Amino acid sequence: MIQFINTILIGLTSGAIYSLMAMAIVLVWRSTRVINFAQAGLALASAYIGYQVMQSVSNYWVALIVAMFAGAALSALIEIAFMRLLLKHTSSGPIASVAPIIATLGLLGIIKAGIAMIWGGQDVVVKPPLSNTGFSIGTHTLVFSPMKLAIVISVATLVLVFSVIFQRTNIGLALRASAFAPEIARLAGVRVDLVRTLGWALSGAAGAVAGLLLTSNGNGSFSPESMEFSLLLISGFIAAVIGGLESLVGAVIGALVLGLVTSFVLMYISGSLFFIAPFVVLLLVLFIRPQGIIGVKAGRRA
Amino acid sequence: MNRRTLISASAVLAVAALTATSLPAQAAEVGVSSTSITLGMTLPMTGTASPGYNKIPGAMKAYFDYLNANGGVNGRSINLKVEDDQYVPTQAVAKTNKLILQDKVMALLAPLGTANNKAVAASVNPARRGVPVLFVNTGFSGFADTKKYPTTYAILPSYVMEAKIMAQYIKDNFAGKTLGLVYQDDDFGTDALKGFTQAGVTFAAKVAYASGSQSATTAAGWVSKLSAAKCDVVILFGVSSATAAGLGTAAALKYAPQWILGSVGGDATTIKAAGVPAGVLYNAVGASFAPATTDMTDDYVKLFSDIYAKAVPGSAFDNNVLIGMNTAFVAAQALKAAGTNPTRASLLAAIDSKGSTFASAALLPLNYSKTSHVGYSGYWFGKYSPTGDLKPVDGKYVLYTTDSGSGAVVKSTWTRPAMPAKGLPQ
Amino acid sequence: MHKLSNKKRLVIFLLLGVAIYFLSGAVDELRVYQGASVAVFVVGISSIILLTGYSGQVSLGQGALLGVGGYAAALMRIHYNAPIWLCFSAAIIVAAIAGALLGLAAARLSGPYLAGTTLALAVGLPSIANQFGLLGGEQGLLFDVGFPPLSLGQDFTQYKWFFWIASLATLIAIFWLQNVMRSRYGRSWKAVRGNDVAAELAGINLTRNKTLAFTLSAGLAGLSGALLAMTIGTVSPSAFPLSLSFSLLTGAVLSGVTTLGGVMIGSVTLVAIPEIAGAVASRLGSSEAVTNNLPGLLVSALLILTVLFVPNGPVEQLRYRREHRVKK
Repeated sequence: MIQFINTILIGLTSGAIYSLMAMAIVLVWRSTRVINFAQAGLALASAYIGYQVMQSVSNYWVALIVAMFAGAALSALIEIAFMRLLLKHTSSGPIASVAPIIATLGLLGIIKAGIAMIWGGQDVVVKPPLSNTGFSIGTHTLVFSPMKLAIVISVATLVLVFSVIFQRTNIGLALRASAFAPEIARLAGVRVDLVRTLGWALSGAAGAVAGLLLTSNGNGSFSPESMEFSLLLISGFIAAVIGGLESLVGAVIGALVLGLVTSFVLMYISGSLFFIAPFVVLLLVLFIRPQGIIGVKAGRRA
Repeated sequence: MNRRTLISASAVLAVAALTATSLPAQAAEVGVSSTSITLGMTLPMTGTASPGYNKIPGAMKAYFDYLNANGGVNGRSINLKVEDDQYVPTQAVAKTNKLILQDKVMALLAPLGTANNKAVAASVNPARRGVPVLFVNTGFSGFADTKKYPTTYAILPSYVMEAKIMAQYIKDNFAGKTLGLVYQDDDFGTDALKGFTQAGVTFAAKVAYASGSQSATTAAGWVSKLSAAKCDVVILFGVSSATAAGLGTAAALKYAPQWILGSVGGDATTIKAAGVPAGVLYNAVGASFAPATTDMTDDYVKLFSDIYAKAVPGSAFDNNVLIGMNTAFVAAQALKAAGTNPTRASLLAAIDSKGSTFASAALLPLNYSKTSHVGYSGYWFGKYSPTGDLKPVDGKYVLYTTDSGSGAVVKSTWTRPAMPAKGLPQ
Repeated sequence: MHKLSNKKRLVIFLLLGVAIYFLSGAVDELRVYQGASVAVFVVGISSIILLTGYSGQVSLGQGALLGVGGYAAALMRIHYNAPIWLCFSAAIIVAAIAGALLGLAAARLSGPYLAGTTLALAVGLPSIANQFGLLGGEQGLLFDVGFPPLSLGQDFTQYKWFFWIASLATLIAIFWLQNVMRSRYGRSWKAVRGNDVAAELAGINLTRNKTLAFTLSAGLAGLSGALLAMTIGTVSPSAFPLSLSFSLLTGAVLSGVTTLGGVMIGSVTLVAIPEIAGAVASRLGSSEAVTNNLPGLLVSALLILTVLFVPNGPVEQLRYRREHRVKK
């Protein structure tokens, strides 16, 4: 019984972290119709900035907030300096779908190489602020700790905040309008370019939090080549696709589904299926609903 | 310029690129000049498999620089050319081709990875070219096969050996306890499983993890399974990141069996650097074939850590560094024994005839002979101290030795000879 | 540009074959091996050009299909000791079947959904080798094409033999691919790529069209994988990592993803870049951290520059400029 509960808890925690990355991907997709592979690289860079802050200030939460702003700033910078140029040159033809992927992959490579050159390839440690010792129920220990609780709460808060921004505020409306029909939004007075940059900034912030929380889920150590960050990218993307790429809620649901299913497969079937499980989940979901769980079927333009 | 011209131009470019090679002048022996000997190495310097291993070139170069500053080998300095293969066999082959065919190295030193070494053997075929492949950096038992890989020498004890010895240690010390195992689902893990099965060990819980998936999250799953099976003794036979994840997560989940750490992932310095508190390591059992990296009473450890601290200041002296420098030391002796005019053939002959007498930091002898390319073949067991350093039980090194086949595990009575003066080949 | 007749193209290919024959005699062993690697990429990149450039579908998992082909070839060789041409055929067929299955699933998916699925495939498929003992696990299987026949002489090196086999296979594959692209299938792909609604109205069955593209592209990928297995003498999961899929995509972009004409550029660049980057790094390198990571940085930078300034590839770029010059 306790194993079952633990499996759920493990899945929920990892799903929560992936959901931040999935949200970041959906945010960029919805505002620019681009899948930003560099997102994980930005998350990594933000985590390193958090580490640097920890070296001087020694307060995790301060570091987290600085990292968040750094992630937002870096992401906005990339949108302004890079993506606009890219989309101008490659707006049509088959290259249009492939070019942003390649370009953001290139960006990912540059960020990773840059980090390794500045901080070196060995592990650095950001000590998690809360204990990772599991809560006890009688003689059993749950795979849930104050730190993991904090992670889940942080994620839930961010999801709520982002949803409110998107659904309830004028800025959110402007964001959605700029993605859906940029020309019309411009005519309505929306500063489309600015709004797009904002979308990227929000995405960068979400990614930064995902990155730092990811390290706190364990020992707090990471390096440019950390397994966890490569997995973050891939899992975040797959989760976003499962959820439908169209809504933040979808991203969260997709991530939770991915986290839970993977957790069950690993626990009850075999640990070696770690890389195969996401593929199977994805195939199943897309087979039943090709537009993802909460996706919207694109209308046919007659 | 029109399209057709461009296509032809690109074809011409390709031809030009392929033909633009200058062949260097012929040397007496490939890779040997009157002043230097060039060796080549491929390993992951970047990429997901690189953490930890990418310290090895720095460690080896530190020793070679020290050696060269003290006269080198028979008056020649040793140069090490290192190429990054990112742990991908295609790149390992391409870079090895570059080392052998373009850089004209005399021999390959410590190439890393089972799949990579197999690809190099199959494609580059150093055996057919007479290129020595010294001291491959993998515990795969197959590379000691002199018929399949006539110019290849293993150095690390094989994973099968380690599993058999560990099984013996468990029989001697933990008989009757419920056993658990965490292993990586590749040749590393399956080789070990072979050894455990052969020794007749049964596990209440066998947890496999996909290589590349080890993290705090997946480790929570391992711990859940192990505690559900009520294992008293758990062998962690994975890489360092897996060991760190397993130990850290188990502590967080208040699961504290008797840990036995495999040598690959058991380096105390690396585990502690990954954030595992020393208290968690305390009393775990660990295995090694070299002295503990914190044992400053050992001549080799003291000398090597001194050299390394001067060459790469600020970098931790861990197991990867110690073993790397030791391998460089053994290679230097092999080159010296190859004579004043070393050739590839004389190098191979030197290891075959004199290899078993080479000095090394390890607490076990090298087993080289005309019929054996097996290097070290055993381990000593220790327990981690309250400060998380591996120390031999009761302060005495007790060494077990065996083979990769069905031979029994026996205690070794070999004592390591004193380190040669200044740690240089005599 | 005038389209060459089939007979003229056949002659050109035969001449290319002869040129390659003489080339292989004139260059040293390292370059011959690199030539074989270039051939692997030519076939691999052309599979992407077919799938993405012509049929407009993005696959981030072509590397997995190369793996399917490589393993199929290796298994044929190990268990049936089949002759090499049969091993390659098995590679093509098995990969094509996998591609057909993938295509059927993918026909309903578009853009990022397809990208996500193929990405998951690229990550998941290689690890299947660890599940079944037959597939050899992490250490892999051997793929030995054997030594060159004695009739070619004592000095005929193994690598030259690889180069000959790879070049022959590549020439045949590209010739065949050009035929396909000029056929009605090629035209129907271009139609769907341009405007899928109009194409459907014109009577093209979208599902069949897309699945066919996937199938044929996968077959080519399978051949590329078998050639890759030949050059490294083994197959293992680590030989078909995610980075392989990305490299092929990169090569396709460098070549110009919509046309076969520039495929050599992308292939040669992919093989040459690590060498050039390494040389530059060792000359510039200061600290070890910089030297190790500089090649990665340079490759990524090149990629970005290409995508920004030569997005359609050099061949298309020149044609575009020529057309516009004429218009003035």
